[in-house]
Amino acid sequence: MGQPSEREAWVVRATTVGVGGETLNRLLGRFGGPADVLAAASSGALESWLRSERPGVRRVPVSAPVADRLRRWPEQLDLVRTEVARLGLWLVTPLDADFPARLGDLDEPPTVLFGQGDRSAALNTHSIAVVGTRRPTPYGRALAARVATRLVEAGAVVVSGLAVGIDGAVHAATIEAGGATVGIIGGGHLHPGPRAHADLRRAVLDAGGAIVSEHLPATRPSRGTYPRRNRIIAALAAATIVVEAPARSGALITAGDALTIGRPVLVTPGRIGDWATMGSLRLLHDSPATIVPDLDALLDEVWRLEPWRNRRQLPRREGDEPGSTALATLSGAQLAVAAAICRAPAGLDRLVEETGLEPAAVAGAVTLLLMRGWLRPVGPAYLPAGALLQSAGAAGTSVP
Amino acid sequence: MLATLVTAVVNGLRGELIRVEVDVAPGLPACNIVGLPDAALSEARERVRAAIRNSGFEYPASRITVNLAPADRRKRGAAYDLAIAVGVLLASGQIRNGGGPWALIGELGLSGELRTLAGALPMVSTLVRAGHRRIGLPLENVAEAEMVTGVHVVGLAGLDDAARLVAGPRGRIAARARRRPTVVVSQARDSGSMRLAGTLEPVDLAEVRGQQHARWAVEVALAGGHNLLMVGPPGAGKTLLARAIPGLLPPLHQDEALEVAVIESVAGILTQAGPSARRPFRAPHHTSSYAALVGGGPGLMPGEASLAHRGVLFLDELAEFDRNVLDALREPLEEGVITIARANGRVRYPARFQLVAAMNRCRCGQAGTDERPCRCPTGDADRYVARVSGPFIDRLDLRIDMARVRPAELLSGRSAESSALVAARIAQARARQHRRAPGIVNAMLPGGLVQNACAVDRATAARLVDLAEVGGMSARGIHRVMRVARTIADLADRASVSESDVLAAAALREPGDEARSGRAA
Repeated sequence: MGQPSEREAWVVRATTVGVGGETLNRLLGRFGGPADVLAAASSGALESWLRSERPGVRRVPVSAPVADRLRRWPEQLDLVRTEVARLGLWLVTPLDADFPARLGDLDEPPTVLFGQGDRSAALNTHSIAVVGTRRPTPYGRALAARVATRLVEAGAVVVSGLAVGIDGAVHAATIEAGGATVGIIGGGHLHPGPRAHADLRRAVLDAGGAIVSEHLPATRPSRGTYPRRNRIIAALAAATIVVEAPARSGALITAGDALTIGRPVLVTPGRIGDWATMGSLRLLHDSPATIVPDLDALLDEVWRLEPWRNRRQLPRREGDEPGSTALATLSGAQLAVAAAICRAPAGLDRLVEETGLEPAAVAGAVTLLLMRGWLRPVGPAYLPAGALLQSAGAAGTSVP
Repeated sequence: MLATLVTAVVNGLRGELIRVEVDVAPGLPACNIVGLPDAALSEARERVRAAIRNSGFEYPASRITVNLAPADRRKRGAAYDLAIAVGVLLASGQIRNGGGPWALIGELGLSGELRTLAGALPMVSTLVRAGHRRIGLPLENVAEAEMVTGVHVVGLAGLDDAARLVAGPRGRIAARARRRPTVVVSQARDSGSMRLAGTLEPVDLAEVRGQQHARWAVEVALAGGHNLLMVGPPGAGKTLLARAIPGLLPPLHQDEALEVAVIESVAGILTQAGPSARRPFRAPHHTSSYAALVGGGPGLMPGEASLAHRGVLFLDELAEFDRNVLDALREPLEEGVITIARANGRVRYPARFQLVAAMNRCRCGQAGTDERPCRCPTGDADRYVARVSGPFIDRLDLRIDMARVRPAELLSGRSAESSALVAARIAQARARQHRRAPGIVNAMLPGGLVQNACAVDRATAARLVDLAEVGGMSARGIHRVMRVARTIADLADRASVSESDVLAAAALREPGDEARSGRAA
């Protein structure tokens, strides 16, 4: 095989095990561009250089097995090409025009990305990351879905990690709202994450989204690959929103990565002492991350950061519709139940307690509100949905 | 000499008439029992010999042959002992029959005392049906035998009593026969609260604070016989509510009481004098074996599911039960009977119980709560819920999701109604159902009757259509809502089902997404 193109050489170098940033710098310093390195490997120049660097005295720039692998670069290139073709993937390197410039902010940017699905969605600059715990509360799950829905309305591509919990809720809600969503996975495409999300992954692709990995398809995810995945989420998105991060949550790593490269981090708060938001509150206290007082403020913030032109419509203002509008159409038991749910999500037991109505009356009212789409059952509780969502803020004051 | 007696055994819930023929003939001393006896029955010869000697009679040093007819039927158990022993006494001439024909049932101890018998009730009714109205059986079984009309029973303490009974006033008893020494029989059996199996202490609803919706759901479930699933974290009060159920159940009708008594008789746990009107409440532990729950074992005994017939079977920690057991319960949930087919026979037991089940959302129980994180490995919660198969969950008409009661509610909750008040409403609702379709609770209303019993006005019908369309409800789902709505109307003592009943009924079941709300951890 003759001289590889610069891009081919980059792919080989990016997918060859044992060639990290340090090694690369030294090789490039000695031989020029990536293609020159490979040419040197083929011609034997690399080996003779290695011999001249007296081992043991200085750090060996490239070990013999790695040098051997570099010498057999045509095989490696072939392997990558076959795999990519077989799985229907696409591949993007920093040499490509559409490689997201934001990734360059990272100390160790990914050297190649393997993607499945819509390439332009994955590399879209109007993307916002929403991350959180794998074990959310019903509230956190519902909030993540609302955040995702609003982001879609604002025209953003929503990025997350395709893990169970908040990630899953974010992807699902984005799809439901008709938006495109990008999942960054911790392993290769042959190991795309939790089995429980097989349907979700399909839905992500069907809905014009993408699944992206920096690893060769056969790479198994491991303890180390997930934190590295997080840095891609942080860098790819214009901002990162953290919904429910317990102490030592992976979402905190993503937030830390984002802050390190100067990206804004927005955190939804929780009550002091609630396990699900302990990490979130700590993050707010210890870092320049900002608090999200309500979703309108969140959207304002996102808009300020990234005033993209192609957003489909102005984000709906929750304040535009006064709380009483939706509630005004209700009466009797329905009004009492809706008002109670707007004050705080509650299960049927608590609703009976709060409203003081007969259990049968409460049950009937809940059925009617569910039929209108104004409630959403999450675990044992009902949360406001649809028109009631706008009432949630105002309910405390405008409802008797 | 030859002696012939009549006795009975029980097979499943049916009694069978058995003729016992005893021949005592000159020859080398021996005792042979023929007629397909099992091990327990073959050992009868040892019990009979000791009982005869210890009752003051003489065991004949002759060739004894015992035939059990019909000869082609397999026989098991020890209920033949008494008939065999008395047969030996008659055939060896130690007593002479002067008291007319008596059917005798009973298992003998070595001292000659009679043991309490399991299944006396069906045996006695079989004997009576066959025209044998004069029956001698163990004292402890007299009360249950007297449930059968037209019977003349005599309670016997031991073999000597039986000998006197058969000999009659003009009969003769060998001179040496003496009163058997008094034996104190104490058997470790739970009595009195027999139908409240396990360790569940009854609770009055007045003690249950908060959980207004759950209380109401339990009331509806019991009033209409609807199967109920309670889901929630530990400490939500699921078991507490279940413990209140025995105090809420409506009384049994007379014929139902007899059915229950027969099963309890066969299981050997019937002690009440006369059929009790109290509905069974069985709460087997999730570690119980398949045979204990479904029935079977060496004697093909009825299991907890049958003991809960016409009552409530409470399965706490539903997901912890063996999957085989739960699948086996699908037959009784649909048909109201359990068929046990084993190598040693095949029996059918009635098992028309109302199922009340409780389960956590995941193994650690914290999923779906705000207070503490779920500690289960990722994805485990789904698997936990999935342990209970979909078709099984489908059989449960009502489902309630419970959260822990907050301390404030515990202390300041509105004063709760007592069990007596709620039980009265339930009994009255059941009475309404009985008038409408005798013996059929709303949960069991066949599809054809639902339309009649739950006739709704036009607005309500339209509402049902809405519900079906919004909730993607099946025809079965609609019928379920209508049955439950009927029960809610019955509880309010209303003749017709209103729109509000239908709406309330719809909320008593999650919109068909058990798995999803389980996953919403």
